[in-house]
Amino acid sequence: MVYCAMIALFFGVIYGVYGFDIHFISYITSRSNFILYCLMFLVGISIGLHKGILNDLKKYHLKVFIIPFGIVVGSIIGGIFCSWITGFTLGESTAVVSGLGWYSLSGVTVGKLAGAELGSITFLSNLMREIFSFFLIPVVAKYLNFYSCIAPAGATSEDTTLPMMIKYTNEETVVLSVFNGIICSALVPILISFCYNNM
Amino acid sequence: MDILIIMCIGVLVGNKLFPRQYKSFNEKLQFICTILLIFSMGVTLGKRDNFLEELTTLGWQSFIFCIFPLLLSLVVVFLLTYYFIEKKK
Repeated sequence: MVYCAMIALFFGVIYGVYGFDIHFISYITSRSNFILYCLMFLVGISIGLHKGILNDLKKYHLKVFIIPFGIVVGSIIGGIFCSWITGFTLGESTAVVSGLGWYSLSGVTVGKLAGAELGSITFLSNLMREIFSFFLIPVVAKYLNFYSCIAPAGATSEDTTLPMMIKYTNEETVVLSVFNGIICSALVPILISFCYNNM
Repeated sequence: MDILIIMCIGVLVGNKLFPRQYKSFNEKLQFICTILLIFSMGVTLGKRDNFLEELTTLGWQSFIFCIFPLLLSLVVVFLLTYYFIEKKK
């Protein structure tokens, strides 16, 4: 899966950079939202096939918030370290890391707030976070615990990185992963604005 | 939100209608969709103006802004889930 993902990403970038226009491929890639909807429907089927998974989750109560809380706290602390290393202000650095992997929205938002350079850094760093997550999930699942697999994925744990969760963790983690993605995605614009203006 | 609604419909279909013997076929379709999504992401990136220039000039700083938050969230989530979920099971 990981190698296939790497190869797909590599050829995708090549296709985009060199401006190829093969009708069938361009037709598919221009409808990536539709592919995502198909994927989410199929993921839903996988979850639905495991009877009782939603009841199992009820036993967690407030504990379902532990993972998004940990991701936000860890990312902000990481942003503080980045501020020391790169020389950007604390507000700028924590705003960049507040993207939590959602590169499209965070890149544009930080770009509008802090200029094109920081916007590009936000875009690239959050894109890297998403790509690294693909490759880290199998390793984390093997050496730490299934819940920790959600941490690198951040806000992407409800969509693009979800198939990796399905492949390498269990159904319970997949449901927690979707829940985490929804919370983190909702927090991204709030966090960026809060960090940039208040830190 | 639309993603969540679609997934909930999928959960209902999986729970009530979907034949269990097609589980592995469903997983294969998920794999194909994932690869297509990643390929599409690559195409979108490659088509972005100045993508390669951005990668070379801002790549190192972007890497720092990626790796520290990623690793620290991993550590914090591991510690929290280990002490508050796994140990209490």
